[in-house]
Amino acid sequence: MATEYALRMGDGKRIFLTKEKILSEIEAGTAHAADLGEISALDGNELEKLAEILMMPGKAVSVEHGMEVPVTHDIGTIRLDGDQGNSGVGIPSSRLVGCMVHERAFGADTMELGHIDYSYKPVKPVVSNECQAMEVCQQNMIIPLFYGAMPNMGLYYTPDGPFENPGDLMKAFKIQEAWDAMEHAAEHLTRDTVWIMQKLFASGADGVNFDTTAAAGDADFYGTLHAIEALRKEFPNMYIEAGMAGEMVLGMHGNLQYDGVTLAGLWPHQQAPLIAKAGANVFGPVVNTNTSKTSAWNLARSVTFIKEAVKVSTLPCHVDMGMGVGGIPMLETPPVDAVTRASKAMVEIARVDGI
Amino acid sequence: MASKEELIQELSDAIISCKKDAVLAAVEKAKGVMEPAEIIEKGLAAGMNQVGVLFERGKLFLPHVMMAADAMTAGVKILEADMPAGAQKKTMGVIVNGTVEGDVHDIGKSIVSTMLQSAGFEVHDIGRDVPIKNFVEKAKEVNANMIGLSALMTTTLPGQKGVIELLKEEGMRERVKVMVGGAPATQAWADKIGADCYAENASEAVAKAKELLLGK
Ligand code: B12
Repeated sequence: MATEYALRMGDGKRIFLTKEKILSEIEAGTAHAADLGEISALDGNELEKLAEILMMPGKAVSVEHGMEVPVTHDIGTIRLDGDQGNSGVGIPSSRLVGCMVHERAFGADTMELGHIDYSYKPVKPVVSNECQAMEVCQQNMIIPLFYGAMPNMGLYYTPDGPFENPGDLMKAFKIQEAWDAMEHAAEHLTRDTVWIMQKLFASGADGVNFDTTAAAGDADFYGTLHAIEALRKEFPNMYIEAGMAGEMVLGMHGNLQYDGVTLAGLWPHQQAPLIAKAGANVFGPVVNTNTSKTSAWNLARSVTFIKEAVKVSTLPCHVDMGMGVGGIPMLETPPVDAVTRASKAMVEIARVDGI
Repeated sequence: MASKEELIQELSDAIISCKKDAVLAAVEKAKGVMEPAEIIEKGLAAGMNQVGVLFERGKLFLPHVMMAADAMTAGVKILEADMPAGAQKKTMGVIVNGTVEGDVHDIGKSIVSTMLQSAGFEVHDIGRDVPIKNFVEKAKEVNANMIGLSALMTTTLPGQKGVIELLKEEGMRERVKVMVGGAPATQAWADKIGADCYAENASEAVAKAKELLLGK
């Protein structure tokens, strides 16, 4: 009987596959990405290399010497003291402790201060608190400390915000009204994030992280790109990182453009030039994990998309790797075998600049 | 004169163009040649399915889906006048759709509601972070044929099971189908909790709902 290797399904379930089956899953995964993104599939050597990484005997694997990349941690301040509903581990600790533990014990190369609600809009009423926390952290830490949150433009729609929910308007065929609501929300998003970051920069933030950009679709992307542009103009030396919410920009509006490019329907390699144009320093591409497919299929698909993004991007690409993205299974605590294999493949095959 | 195949293609293309004028013109042209039911099924509905696929691939966007649905409704209205009484207002089914308790992710769920509605189902979208009992109460109130359950987190997924259990307790499980979805859900999970179906995305949700409720 042919040797079988322990892999995972996208939902984390253990499976055992032969090398032949692994290769066929990899081929199907890379072909899926190539078809959707209209990009090239992985070549023969890359397919072999990916299979090799997946079949390595160790439980955890690592990159080759000299291929180490910087690791940035988002929301880590909350990951320690947050509860399960917040993807945390529930250890009572302050945000300062969270940041310092990441710096001194976990070896994070950069770190981010975040708010328990982790969206920009709810930072507004507590911005003084955030500024104070930033100052205290900066006084105690050496690694670059950003401020980060999600643009999360959905918070500007009813029931959370002032504008009628475009989803409801759309269902009632009120398309013009839906467009108006999205455009107004995008304006507010730009205005609020710029205002918040002006305050946090005055308090010593080393940079800003836009986490899960475009979660509410193309208008969310539009609002964020304009915020990046405004911040770059005002703070020429500010470090700006823009990470995405998903692999493709959802077309909720459909017509919005940036720099003459329609934002809806863009894949990672098409997002990268716009993020650069707006003035960011780092791009965080994302590829979603399909929970019904194997890790071989998912990883090949993710690496194919990310490789193309790295190729065309003028900015360093720090790929988003976590529970349910980047070829990693969707679990609260993703298994170490899958996380390390996916990370190695991203560095050695997709050639990402960071994670 | 255009052949039947050409007319079907024209109907489908008109829907994909998302233009009401084009759809109405294609329907007028096909009317004398084909049966209304055939125009709807093979032409308009086939085009609508294609719209769903193009949406998933990022080639058409939500407003286009709505415009195509609007155009299709207008096309069907013209045809209804020629249809035998009784065949006219065929309700496709009533669906209650929502995101389970503890979970505020509603973007995908709303897209699913929109697509189901565009396909002709009566959809009651009850929002996000919805307590288990509200699904069952709403299903009773609107006499639903199906409940759609969205969950985007591994931690909230068990809520889907909770609704199925409550439906059983209330003696309603036999008459209400359950469809589950959201990124962490899989066919294996659907089987495990005894859901009637799982769909990976919105266009698949429409296809599966049709299969379950209309038998096609
Ligand atoms: C947008 C987003 C948010 C937004 C949600 C805004 C909103 N109004 O929906 C906000 C910012 C609020 C948010 C919050 C949180 N999020 Co979130 N979020 C996402 C994100 C980036 C995208 C989800 C999305 O909208 N996708 C686009 C839509 C179109 O796709 P979809 O939802 O999968 O829907 C499709 C299918 O699944 C299917 N489908 C969906 N529903 C249904 C229903 C039926 C019946 C059927 C048949 C089909 C079906 O059809 C849809 C269309 O094709 C994902 C990561 C990702 N890329 O997937 C994380 C993600 C889901 N979030 C996650 C987490 C952890 C959270 C938070 C806990 C974060 C925090 N620490 O605070 C909170 C949760 C709060 C809560 N209690 O719910 C994790 C979940 C991980 C896990 N192990 O479960 C993810 C995977 C990100 C990650 N890797 O960390 N999030």
